Amino acid sequence: MSKMKMADGATILRRNRPGTKAEDFCRWPDEAYEEMDSTLAVQQCIQQLIRKDPTNIDLILKMPETLDEGVWKYEHLRQFCMELNGLAIRLQEECRPETCNQMTATEQWIFLCAAHKTPKECAAIDYTRHTLDGAACLLNSNKYFPSRVSIKESSVAKLGSVCRRVYRIFSHAYYHHRTIFDEFEIETCLCKRFTQFVTKYNLMSKDNLIVPILGEATIGESEA
Amino acid sequence: MVISQEAFGGGCSTSGDTSDLVFNYDDTDTHANEISELYSYTEQPELALNVRAFEEQMESYNLPPSWQRLSMENQQSVVMKLLNQLEICDKSLRMRAARCILYLAQGCWAEVQSDAEQLEWTKKNVLLLCKFGTFAAFTDLLNIEIENNTAAHVALRKIAVSLADSQDLRVILSVLYTITEIVRNESNSNSVEYKETVESFINDVIYHDGEEILIVKLLGMVTKFCSGAAPHFPMKKVLLLLWKLILICLGGMNALKEMKMEKRVKVGLPAPDEDTIEVVRTMRPSSPPASASDLLEAQNQKRNTRPFRRQILMKQSSLDDHDTLGMELDSSVGENNDEMNDLSEFYDRRVSENNENNEMYNAHFQNRPPTPSPNQSGTIIVPRGLPWKPKVRQKEIDAFLDSSRLKFVGFSLHGDSTTLAGLPMPIHEGVKILREHVYTSLSELQIQKEEEIARNPFSTTEGEIEMTKTEILYQAMFPNLPQYMIALLKILLAAAPTSKAKTDSINIMADILPEEMPMTVLQSMKLGIDVNRHKEIIVKAVSAILLLLLKHFKLNHIYQFEFMSQHLVFANCIPLVLKFFNQNIMAYVGAKNVIPILDFPSCVIGDQPELTVETLEIGDASPYSWRNIFSCINLLRILNKLTKWKHSRIMMLVVFKSAPILKRTLKVRHAMTQLYVLKLLKMQTKYLGRQWRKSNMKTISAIYQKVRHRLNDDWAFGNDLDARPWDFQAEECALRGSVDRFNNRRYSLVSDIDYEPVDNCLSSVLGISFDLSESFTTNYELWLEQEVFSNCVNWDKLLEN
Repeated sequence: MSKMKMADGATILRRNRPGTKAEDFCRWPDEAYEEMDSTLAVQQCIQQLIRKDPTNIDLILKMPETLDEGVWKYEHLRQFCMELNGLAIRLQEECRPETCNQMTATEQWIFLCAAHKTPKECAAIDYTRHTLDGAACLLNSNKYFPSRVSIKESSVAKLGSVCRRVYRIFSHAYYHHRTIFDEFEIETCLCKRFTQFVTKYNLMSKDNLIVPILGEATIGESEA
Repeated sequence: MVISQEAFGGGCSTSGDTSDLVFNYDDTDTHANEISELYSYTEQPELALNVRAFEEQMESYNLPPSWQRLSMENQQSVVMKLLNQLEICDKSLRMRAARCILYLAQGCWAEVQSDAEQLEWTKKNVLLLCKFGTFAAFTDLLNIEIENNTAAHVALRKIAVSLADSQDLRVILSVLYTITEIVRNESNSNSVEYKETVESFINDVIYHDGEEILIVKLLGMVTKFCSGAAPHFPMKKVLLLLWKLILICLGGMNALKEMKMEKRVKVGLPAPDEDTIEVVRTMRPSSPPASASDLLEAQNQKRNTRPFRRQILMKQSSLDDHDTLGMELDSSVGENNDEMNDLSEFYDRRVSENNENNEMYNAHFQNRPPTPSPNQSGTIIVPRGLPWKPKVRQKEIDAFLDSSRLKFVGFSLHGDSTTLAGLPMPIHEGVKILREHVYTSLSELQIQKEEEIARNPFSTTEGEIEMTKTEILYQAMFPNLPQYMIALLKILLAAAPTSKAKTDSINIMADILPEEMPMTVLQSMKLGIDVNRHKEIIVKAVSAILLLLLKHFKLNHIYQFEFMSQHLVFANCIPLVLKFFNQNIMAYVGAKNVIPILDFPSCVIGDQPELTVETLEIGDASPYSWRNIFSCINLLRILNKLTKWKHSRIMMLVVFKSAPILKRTLKVRHAMTQLYVLKLLKMQTKYLGRQWRKSNMKTISAIYQKVRHRLNDDWAFGNDLDARPWDFQAEECALRGSVDRFNNRRYSLVSDIDYEPVDNCLSSVLGISFDLSESFTTNYELWLEQEVFSNCVNWDKLLEN
């Protein structure tokens, strides 16, 4: 990703070339955020921290002081969506339109898929795919996010709805495909990180975080 | 009411029973009125449902049902939870959240003490809602409801569609409208604080990523409603939202003025130094031509028009120099000497008034008290200088030069608009004056450019089309623009006070009539007022939408404007508007179809007085109906826009006998209304005949006073070549040709076949596959036999020629 002069003068290219072996994947020395001089520094920094220790959520979510909060939130959400694809792939094995024909977590919460022009009821796995696609579209949209260096306040406001929709993938996995969820969570701590992320930046209401992940008793939606 | 006292010269004259209307034309009425017009009085019981939805939601969140007492944090949390609930499959849960949000947008009125407090909370809540993307969420909800076929089927099967059928749609539209209206209000206040909110709102509405923009979606709703496929669509709310969205996205009068200025400067034209709206604000209304006295006057002042007109034309810049007046008249029109005597009285009055007032007028026109005259009705208000700078078009100078050359030199120089060789001095002077007053409009330049492209399609390039907001909207509307126009006019027709319920092809009352008809007298009175108010608001919205679109398209590109106006004309807009004015216009302007104590939010705040016949009128102090004058002016302006410089359409005004209708409209004592009526009368005067002119001298004088003069324009008597009424078909067709060429080039993928290279490669020409019908392919041998082999072709004949 970015170049760095080593002491001996050799340049490190932080790239995964075609044919890179699995054990060599992303195996390059860490770099301090301040040293990074690419436009993708924030993403690089987040990914580096995650690779190092995905359980150290506080550290991953600790924003470098010089950074704009909007950019920080944006980059994290991008990362979440990318990593959620991993969960989606695992879910595909088990979550089929025949068995999970609605996007549901607990019984009273069945959701419409907002990725369409007219929101409609999609099967859970379709919801997952559509929503992740929709999120990718929005986050890469030239209209709202033309730059990754500075982000307009009005565009930051769009992140909340992405979080809200993406979170349902976690809750569906948790309530209907618990084994997959647990395996994935142990590996990545993604749901925990996501929960902390949206709580920290007030992107979702606590009551809507219905996966009991933070240890403390989450109330969940009472009846509504 | 926005009342600007100064604008009318220090107050209105109240002498006599017909006093001037103190009405200030603007983009919209006051914010409070615009909000209250969103709700019909029959919707009032539903307001309580909003509070109930709120209370239920709050209970489910274990929070007290008091919004004001919630911390900021809790409020945000509630909004986020509600938005989450909006995406739930279960419709009742979804709509409960929507209602709850509507209650928030309405300012949580159950907790407030006054209208001002309600407004404050509305603003606060709407901005909070905006921050969390509520508008986009409700756009999604609107999509669901538009596609909701069950609701349409239920409504279609009913004999009478009622309020209940549009309940959900009305909640959604009300939220969208309230947000739009609050944001629009913020954008007007020029506060820096919410500038970004306003900008991002506009961007969200107008810029789309391949999706249909909301404005077009709403127009689609209007056409769907008019086609009869969705009788339950609440048209009033749709139209109001449509109007406000166009207004906030494209901009109102001030924005138009600035944009015009900018565009003119950009292409090197001088900035316009007059603003119609501004000038007209300083004008005073004329007393209407009372029919009886008018006739009497006409008998006294016989045939006195012609010299007067000439005088004005010759003395444009020196009106106060009256000493030479008689001479001018004598020398200019010898044949009219016999009419001089009749005129003298008029001029005496005019001169003395001028001498008296000139200085005072120049010094403090604004504070000048109205002329105190005991018998004012029947006298002409005397002009104090011309309100408008006279204009002339280059085309008219060329025509003038042409005719002068023919007369004095004996031949014409085609395409030469400068040479004065051989022409006498007076012509030189005339040309000089004309040139001083030349006004080139943006449209003329655009038409020139179009002609050039048509002539040299390869060497002239269009240049990049600037993607202004208007351009985006035009492109989005373009494929279905004719249908939109027809639909809007259909609704206008149905809402016009003169149209009979029986002839309505569409029922615009579906979103107002309750399921149970009123039982008591009071209830039916209330419903009667409500129905009229409903119609008036629809007329207001439609007229405002049409005018806004016309104005913006015209500024963006003249042929966009012509495209829209041509479709309006084809859809019979001109007779429709005339039909609208063919009513008791004074009654319409003075109509009081309002029950102030039932207006939102007054109807839910504080103690409610019991509704009786007496309390119906409490709080209504206005001497006229703002919305009705507003609609009238809009419709008159639309009519002006459609007919200006278009002989064929002016002839429609004549054919549909608009003159008496328009003349009656002059009774509305409001300068702006009168100005637009006078303009319409001016353009058709020469077709109305001598008799009409003779008996309408007062109107003609008013035209002289108030309407801009066009140098060289013989509007009252002329028979210029340009005005051949018989070939109006050709004129309209030529215009259509230009418009189609413009549209095809810019907005359709079909390129002109004439400009494509000819394919003369044998294999590719033979390789083109044709769609042949099944019967042909099975029987082609028979065809060969009959059409080819049995037909003897003497190929030698080809060579012989």
